[in-house]
Amino acid sequence: MKGYRKYFFNKLVWFFVTLACAFLLNFILPRQMPGDPVAAIVARQAQGMSNTAGVQAIYEQYTELFGTSKPMYEQFILYVRNVLQGDFGFSFSQYPRTVLDVIRSALWWTIILQFPAIIVGWLIGNSLGALAAYLKGGFDKVLLPISIFASSIPPFGIAMIMLVIFGVTLQWLPTSGGYGFDLIPNASWSFVWSVIVHYQLPFWSIVLVTIGGQAIGMRSMSIYELNADYVKYSRFMGIKDRKIVGYVFRNAMLPQITGLALAIGTMVGGALVAEIIFSYPGLGSTIFTAVLGQDYPLISATTLIITIMALLANFVIEIVYGFLDPRIKAAQAD
Amino acid sequence: MSNAILEVRELTTKYITRFREDIYAVDHVSLRVEEGKSLGIAGESGCGKSTLALSLMGYYFPPLYYTSGEIIIDGRNISGMNSDDVRKSILGNEIAYIPQAAMNALNPTQKVIRFIEDVIEAHDPSVTKKEVYNLAKGFFEAVGLPADVLQKYPVELSGGMKQRTVIAISVILSPQILIADEPSSALDVTSQKMVIKMLRNLMDKGYIKAMIFITHELPLLYNVTDDIMVMYAGQIVEKASAREAVFDPLHPYSKGLMGSIIVPEEGLRDVKLTAIPGVPPNLKKPPSGCRFAERCKYVRPECKGTSVPLRDVGNGRAYRCIIPETELREMYAREARKNV
Amino acid sequence: MKHTLRQVFQSGKFLIGFSIFSFILLVVIIYPRVITDPPLQIIGQGTFFPPGLYVNVYDSLNTPYYTLNLPNATRNRIASKLSDEDRQAIKEWLTAVGISEDQIDVENTAQLLEQWANNYDPTLRVPGMTNARRNYFIRLNSSLSRLLATEGVSIAVRNEETGELEEIGAVTQTDYVNASQVPNVRLLLLGTDNFGRDVLTELVVATRVSLLIGIVAGLVATSIGLALGLLSGYVGGVVDDVITFITNLFIVIPSFVLLILISFSIGQNQRGPITIAVVIGFTSWVWTTRAVRSQVISLRNRDHVNLSKLSGYSIVHIILKDILPYIASYVVMALILQISSGIIAEAGLSILGLGPRTTEVPTLGLMLYWAMIYQAHIFGKWWAYLPVLITIALITFSMNLMNTGLDHVFNPALRD
Repeated sequence: MKGYRKYFFNKLVWFFVTLACAFLLNFILPRQMPGDPVAAIVARQAQGMSNTAGVQAIYEQYTELFGTSKPMYEQFILYVRNVLQGDFGFSFSQYPRTVLDVIRSALWWTIILQFPAIIVGWLIGNSLGALAAYLKGGFDKVLLPISIFASSIPPFGIAMIMLVIFGVTLQWLPTSGGYGFDLIPNASWSFVWSVIVHYQLPFWSIVLVTIGGQAIGMRSMSIYELNADYVKYSRFMGIKDRKIVGYVFRNAMLPQITGLALAIGTMVGGALVAEIIFSYPGLGSTIFTAVLGQDYPLISATTLIITIMALLANFVIEIVYGFLDPRIKAAQAD
Repeated sequence: MSNAILEVRELTTKYITRFREDIYAVDHVSLRVEEGKSLGIAGESGCGKSTLALSLMGYYFPPLYYTSGEIIIDGRNISGMNSDDVRKSILGNEIAYIPQAAMNALNPTQKVIRFIEDVIEAHDPSVTKKEVYNLAKGFFEAVGLPADVLQKYPVELSGGMKQRTVIAISVILSPQILIADEPSSALDVTSQKMVIKMLRNLMDKGYIKAMIFITHELPLLYNVTDDIMVMYAGQIVEKASAREAVFDPLHPYSKGLMGSIIVPEEGLRDVKLTAIPGVPPNLKKPPSGCRFAERCKYVRPECKGTSVPLRDVGNGRAYRCIIPETELREMYAREARKNV
Repeated sequence: MKHTLRQVFQSGKFLIGFSIFSFILLVVIIYPRVITDPPLQIIGQGTFFPPGLYVNVYDSLNTPYYTLNLPNATRNRIASKLSDEDRQAIKEWLTAVGISEDQIDVENTAQLLEQWANNYDPTLRVPGMTNARRNYFIRLNSSLSRLLATEGVSIAVRNEETGELEEIGAVTQTDYVNASQVPNVRLLLLGTDNFGRDVLTELVVATRVSLLIGIVAGLVATSIGLALGLLSGYVGGVVDDVITFITNLFIVIPSFVLLILISFSIGQNQRGPITIAVVIGFTSWVWTTRAVRSQVISLRNRDHVNLSKLSGYSIVHIILKDILPYIASYVVMALILQISSGIIAEAGLSILGLGPRTTEVPTLGLMLYWAMIYQAHIFGKWWAYLPVLITIALITFSMNLMNTGLDHVFNPALRD
């Protein structure tokens, strides 16, 4: 267990280091660009918002929040303190809602949609990939071109196609929203049912996207493992094929877990776009409306939250991986 | 004549590629290993020696297939047996395989003892874990490994320890014969020596009765094995005692192979493997005559066209060439004089 | 080199991918030479005209008429006017007046109309039928009788002095014009989009721009990845530590999110296609760096590299002569992959509304964005988004196939 504790500690340190870097990037990048946030605010003020009191409030809050007149490092300290307090200021486009309020209502939709979908897609994709590698022959010949083609369709493409087939043509499922537009969120059955029904299309489209990539990776991994020396040796020591296949798939699966940890950032990007296609009320749609409304504070905060979520997911997967792969403990013990 | 542990008659096996082509990588090979003896098999990479090692086990899986011939282990013909019986009663029990590059021969995510449990369970499910442990401990001590290696993962072992672990596991079911296969890119010569010494030691102690050692490092064979067989393009081209094969080879291929190794000058280590110009023929369409003809210095017009039989010259020696023994020796002698 | 190329072109997968890609490239190059209209010109007044051959009505009237007695003309005319909804309504009436369902075939137009003519009675009051529904049937009946009319229509012009209509010609139901004699005919193979622009012309230009974005993004990403990977792998030490740290950092931080943040910060006015491409390139070099680094490390201590080192060759020489050739195949594959993912990244950004500024050129992503904003997918205007999706899928598919083919040539273990 000592080895594992060391591993855990390393990962924890890494998590905080990446988190710090994410903060830094989120702070610096927009400020290095021609259209920096403060300039954007001034521009907005010049355009004149319909709600003059709102503009005034935002402007005052922003000069305070950003400390625009202060030197860069003080601005950064201010920024970190604000972030830690959850104070992202007002949203431009949804005034008088605060950014925190907007994100809080969208966050759960995204978490509940994306993480189960990615995990289910990962499981199905890996099973199919392993099967393809093991059966080879016809099954593999059919599955490989199909999955190459399927993974060529970008995530938003799959989302649109599913929407058109199941939502528009067959009309089995609703095409947009997180629940029926005529409902008010409450604990009733009809609301829960509506949420479940609206969940299906975005969920399965993310699952499908994940399957494509994972199946191809798992297939190559399994073929590589099937040709490994230990397979030959185990066979010649008289071990049954079924047992050897067990070794192979366990070993092929392990790199796929680290693969998932590394790919989670990319997957989240695809899933965000899928949310937009289905107007799912998560963070993806939040970004979309924020871009339409030129809402800098909301975009900045949303991208930060998504990054933190991806880092957390990465951390959790690495921790789980440490439990599953004995080599981790062994390697750290030295 | 003493008791034959392994006797192989006219064994032929083939690979079937995904384009449904047959490649006969082992072509009518016969050999015999007696109790207490060891046989070395030599040849360039791609000559079929590793496929021969796989074929001798009597257990085939795609893309390798059995075609014809017999394998008799300790008087038991295993070539007609169904593969699950071979797996259960022959592999490990009668004939065992050692990959000499032990680095990847063990499943990296399994403790050594778990693998041994799986091996024993595959042959006799009634053995308890406690018994397995005690048995394994004994064998590990015999190869000089502490018992706590059993509780470790392969990554935690050094290269030498892994090698010993594999050897101990290979003999744990007390097989009659061991087949040690060295893939062309594996160990350095010193570690190979260590492996061979250990194997000899096991044979002397009676853990195994005979062994076959496959390598391209010929000096190694001379020191350790009693007989040597040279393979080329899936066929045996020369059979002799170790001494004769090294110092008095008959077949031009063996001559080339030995010659390139016996007189190593400083710095020529990298050159020697390419000492015979050209590459082995494509076994999808082997040449109809002598398979070495394309690369042979002494090639004659009659070499091509009709297949060349293995010529038995008595005393357990045989070679596959149309040129008579005396004539070959004269040619070699003439060449030696010219070089001096 | 020649041998490798031959081997690559013998791979079926590579060949298929290469053919698809070449086809797309050819279309992109040749089409604008043939159809020279500006791609973003608005030609349609209205949104989403369906694909088809558009024939100028005014010109048709002034073209010679030919009388053709085609047997199915009447039936086709009626069938095209009679919607599925109308057919269901007729069936509803017929069943209500007591005709059994198996005698009604909604697909058989002639029989259906005959049954309607025989059984419809505007004075009949069907029990349970609302007044609105009854009025609907009356309207349906009158439109059907118009449909069944056999007279032609008159063409009239208004006399400017008297203000009265004067007939100057007539068109009968058997009159035809020869489309090739009509001076103004426009084939809109993929109809028009929400702005009334020719989708096909737009698509071709968009494909060109998107390919350009992909190539620029791919080149930027691969160059950065290659440079950092070589540096990190070959030099080692602190340089390696720093680069590895940065690489690992950008692997876990979602690149797409960075892309969003940067694109938004750049601002609408600065966002041209090339800027977008460069930004995409700058956020997607990490995987290449990682892979190049590990390959260089495994090459670093090979005999031939050591030999060059001992011979006193410079680092640049060693990298160019002893390392690059060995990772060239990988770098090519990485480039191909980066190009296709660059195209997808652009599309993703555009869907978010962060694509290139919209006034000059279309991109595949922008076309999707417009189609989505105007809900083409909800209203069944497939021509506005499906061809775009297919184009993207074909480009990435062809590139994936080429990569798989290359992979099979260079990594034989995957072959069987």
